[in-house]
Amino acid sequence: MSSIRIKAKERKGMVDVKSLMKHPMETGLRKDKSGKKIPEHWIQDVTAEANGKVVFAAAFNTSISKDPYLAFAYAGAKGDTLKISWKDSNGATDSAETKVK
Amino acid sequence: MFKLPNLAVAAAAIVLAGAVQAGPLGIGSTATPEMIAGWDIDIRPDGMGLPPGRGSVAEGEPLYEAKCASCHGLFGEGEGRWPILAGGEGTLDTLHPEKTVGSYWPYASTLWDYIHRAMPYPAPQSLTDDETYAISAYVLYLNDIVDDDFVADRESFAAVKMPNEPNFYIDNRPDVQNTRCMENCADPANFTIVTTINGVTPTGHFKEDSGVAANHYGDSEPAVKAVEVAMSDAATAGKSVYDKACQACHGMGVAGAPKVGDASAWVDRIQTGMASMSSNAINGYQGPNGVMPAKGGNMSLSDEEVSMA
Repeated sequence: MSSIRIKAKERKGMVDVKSLMKHPMETGLRKDKSGKKIPEHWIQDVTAEANGKVVFAAAFNTSISKDPYLAFAYAGAKGDTLKISWKDSNGATDSAETKVK
Repeated sequence: MFKLPNLAVAAAAIVLAGAVQAGPLGIGSTATPEMIAGWDIDIRPDGMGLPPGRGSVAEGEPLYEAKCASCHGLFGEGEGRWPILAGGEGTLDTLHPEKTVGSYWPYASTLWDYIHRAMPYPAPQSLTDDETYAISAYVLYLNDIVDDDFVADRESFAAVKMPNEPNFYIDNRPDVQNTRCMENCADPANFTIVTTINGVTPTGHFKEDSGVAANHYGDSEPAVKAVEVAMSDAATAGKSVYDKACQACHGMGVAGAPKVGDASAWVDRIQTGMASMSSNAINGYQGPNGVMPAKGGNMSLSDEEVSMA
């Protein structure tokens, strides 16, 4: 199952998008019980595409919380295919797609 | 609705009691099956108690968004400080454990029971059985416990295994393993309290006017000895008597005895006068206080003690 959950609803020409990304978002500054630093692991880039066209892009940093919740709106229509993807500091990526309701 | 075997017995007992009481006392009435059914809404871990009905994740989504998401969040992340429903896996042994349906709850049946019983917060027990199935299924889906095509009904919902169930176990400490005594058991009338932890276990309330033998509590032996010493040495009541007889209790405040130097504890006792102090002297521990004034030593001894301390 994808690490991203998306809900997108169209209203008066605007699509409200709400999404939750499951990610530890480790800053690299925390230490574990034995005093060793926990290696950093955080989402760097988030991109949202509607029908292949980028409608939202963000550069996250270590100040973003664990399991980030992201909400935005764009001018779109019902039935758009919305794809949200992220790339983290380890180079890993994930993405999820949904139909705008 | 289901009937537990012992619930049926209990219900029978209620009926019996009701019949008996209704006769001479004329109060109470026999619980009807409808009355019992109104209370009998619990769901057990094996799914016992689940009513017929069904609800899918897809049906649960709009219901959840309408009735639950304003507090619990669209994704179960919790709005504000309302309870978080999803996530938190692997955080139970960390500094900030996040107890959610997915990370903590041992049985899915609790989800159905709780939603049906207590949710939504402003209108508990307003959901139909089908709606409860659908919302329960959706919350499980938010926790990645079931897939998005899951349809909850009596059988499928009871079969859901929660990820944290194996971490719950029956208390394995040795003192909870005793087998229950069913025959030839010890007589409770013969039980006595051998000792209490002095100064920690509050025992003072057993003594005054209670009629409970205070020498069961605290350090009883010195108290008994104190009677003998005080009686034989009453004429020379003084520091040596105090050291031998009284300090055992009054030095440390054992068994609720007023401590020497604790003036407020003594003032009340002295002001009650010798008569009432004597009448309070029912048994061993109160003994020294009662016997000594009869010999004329109490007031001076107390003053002496107070001044010494």
